[in-house]
Amino acid sequence: MSLDQKQKIIIALAFFFLAALTIVAWVEGGRRRVVKAPDAVVTSENKDCVDCHRVKSPGIVGQWEISTHAKSGIGCLQCHQAEKGDVDAYQHEGRLIATVVSPKDCAQCHEREAAEFQASHHASAGQILGSLDNVLAEVVEGFVEFDAQGNKVKPSPAAVSGCLQCHGAEIKVLDNGKLDPATWPNTGIGRLNPDGSRGSCSACHLRHNFSRAQARAPENCGRCHLGPDHPQKEIYQESKHGIAFEANRARFEPLMEAKEWIPGKDFEQGPTCSVCHMGATKNLPVTHDVGERISWTLRPPVSEKIDAAAIKAGKRVKSWQQRRKDMQEVCSSCHATEWVKNWYVQFDNAVNLYNEKFGKPATELFQMARKEGLLTEIQFDEELEFTYFYLWHHEGRRARHGAAMMGPDYTQWHGFYEVAERFYMEFVPQLREVLAEGRRHGKAAAAARIEARLNQILDSDMHKWFLGRMSPAERAARKKAAEEFKKRYAQ
Amino acid sequence: MSRVASALVRANDWLRERFPVDQQVLISMGSEPVPGHLKRWWWCLGGTPAYLFIIQAVTGVLLTFYYVPTPDQAYESVAAITNQVRFGWYIRSLHKWSANLMIVAVLLHMMRVFFTGAYRRPREGNWMLGVLLLLLTLGFGFTGYSLVYEQLSFWGATVAANILQSIPLIGPDLAGFLRGGSHVGSNMLTRLFVFHIGALPTLMVVVLLGHLLLMRTHGVSPLGSPAGPDAKRFPFIPDHLFTEIAVALFLMFILTFLAIVFPAGLGPKANPLVTPEHIKPEWYFFWAFRWLKLMPEQAAVATQGLFIALIFFWPLIDARIRKRRPDSELSIWIGAGAVISLLTLTVWESLHLLH
Repeated sequence: MSLDQKQKIIIALAFFFLAALTIVAWVEGGRRRVVKAPDAVVTSENKDCVDCHRVKSPGIVGQWEISTHAKSGIGCLQCHQAEKGDVDAYQHEGRLIATVVSPKDCAQCHEREAAEFQASHHASAGQILGSLDNVLAEVVEGFVEFDAQGNKVKPSPAAVSGCLQCHGAEIKVLDNGKLDPATWPNTGIGRLNPDGSRGSCSACHLRHNFSRAQARAPENCGRCHLGPDHPQKEIYQESKHGIAFEANRARFEPLMEAKEWIPGKDFEQGPTCSVCHMGATKNLPVTHDVGERISWTLRPPVSEKIDAAAIKAGKRVKSWQQRRKDMQEVCSSCHATEWVKNWYVQFDNAVNLYNEKFGKPATELFQMARKEGLLTEIQFDEELEFTYFYLWHHEGRRARHGAAMMGPDYTQWHGFYEVAERFYMEFVPQLREVLAEGRRHGKAAAAARIEARLNQILDSDMHKWFLGRMSPAERAARKKAAEEFKKRYAQ
Repeated sequence: MSRVASALVRANDWLRERFPVDQQVLISMGSEPVPGHLKRWWWCLGGTPAYLFIIQAVTGVLLTFYYVPTPDQAYESVAAITNQVRFGWYIRSLHKWSANLMIVAVLLHMMRVFFTGAYRRPREGNWMLGVLLLLLTLGFGFTGYSLVYEQLSFWGATVAANILQSIPLIGPDLAGFLRGGSHVGSNMLTRLFVFHIGALPTLMVVVLLGHLLLMRTHGVSPLGSPAGPDAKRFPFIPDHLFTEIAVALFLMFILTFLAIVFPAGLGPKANPLVTPEHIKPEWYFFWAFRWLKLMPEQAAVATQGLFIALIFFWPLIDARIRKRRPDSELSIWIGAGAVISLLTLTVWESLHLLH
């Protein structure tokens, strides 16, 4: 081939290459346009909302843009659009919308999840009006203004900013169509919505990006499940589950956004709250009923199996045995069968100990004192009421939750130790004072009956040490152990 | 003499004084007559891998601006290069496709050298350097593929480390050295990165220079009888240079075409906890992967090592054979057998993966 021919070939190839580069530039131009508007699909009906709120409240739009909803074109109106006649509907920029997005709205697409949630204990968390906690927040700690007809005129700030933020408020729509500031904003999990539905999905799935990784993080549950009366988050952090999660968190977090987060398949250690209580396993589906796998209720003064109350009420519910079996299925993702069964023996023993030694006796004695008229009908006006409340509501729960979630320090020092101290050093002496006071006020017979029961309890196997009536064999064994301990520490 | 011409003369004098290189030598080196058979397009395959290597060096530097060699960011940075960085997809696709074409070009170049007997005395050493260049090219392919940190590349690297571990005596230490520990993780990624952008390019340049130096000192291997195509010779510049430029432009066109039509994709992110249903290496390791499946691991690794050693030392083995039988065509048959075997294993494995 001549040089001239080669030059012509070079020119022709250079032309082709330049043409190819032009196509590259064209493709790049197209891609840049895509990058500017990421994966969010703004449909024509949502365009006005997005354009305006991008300026007025850019955070909301930013949250939505990174959501899975946005990628599917699910936008503002799909959730916020209201229908004529809706209690909370109002006109906004030519659209009929509602501020509150309720589980009923979410159920348009997430029907199964919403149904599971409605069946859960979470869904009824807003119905706390008659609880002792509510009396504290509205009467003892706070103040509620009532009108002559007994309607609440002004709620207690302690309840509005405290209890109800977790439990959920009953959302009120004012006459002008606006939401009552006494009840809104509120994302409590058992919120009573204007459309009659219960709950708030955004209690756990923070709006507007609804990230799975965020919902699966322990801090998510820790918004409410923490503190002196139910420190589940702190107990979790103390547990090996929490330690393992924290140690591997950086590795896990990018993966936790996936649809599935199955123990033993997608990760090997460090389950978070949602994994055990709600997450899918190799054999179980995801559930939005958080009580599905709980066998004990550790909430009341005396624990009982979770289906007991329903059975008493004549309802048919999933049995505690089946719930336990399901939780054991979760445990089995990482633990051997014997390990799991033995652990449940330890857990049951701890709950039974609390029940038998402190929960049942204290509750029985307290109720006797009230029934016999030695305590007033007014709640929380006497020291013994606070003492009893601390005993079961704070320390008793800590002991039980600590045992349930493998937090040894919460089981022992923040739990059983404080329950015991409260019982022997405060509850018993205060009860004796109440009995003495009763005798001084003509209630000697009632006081005698309660004292007899108190003495009977204290003289039982679990308590007789308090009266100095430990058996000789146990006394000798304890003496020997104490001496050995002293030797070990050269005391 | 015009002002411009006298300025140029002065500048030339200035440069020659500071860089006292004999320009006549340079000119004569450039215009050295090369054998007539180099006029055939097929004889550009030696320069093609070198050209593709330069493309990879340039695109590799650009990719390194954005790539982050840590397990938690490697994949994301590749995704960012692909989806967000301006022209990132094009540069990454050029890098990927030029790597693949380079392996093809090296193999074709080797086959041409082998079947024309160009490796024979006195060019045995250059064949060996060529084999080293092939191994370095494959090393580039392996390390580069692993850096993407997607599921398949992660597990491919894991399998490769396990294979390395099965080499008798030194295997565990070699695997430990590659992984930087007992499992594939951040240490291995760092090492692969250092190999890919540091050690291998340095070795490649050194061996490549040795390869070219030997080629220039020995001269281009003659083809056929003296009365054949080599009876006529032609100057390297501009004749052969034009051929190379045409090939380079053709390659750029093909690479750009491939980048547009088949841009470098990205599979799921590496998950050390989930083994993919099918682990597969890049196509150029298919033959080795299939071989591994045909026999016990240690036997497969040993025979593969032997095969590579056989290729490396082939000029010396061939010399022994031809000493006994000067007219032996055994090398042709062995070469053809090897090529057919490798192709069969490669096609076999790819058909298996299709199912």
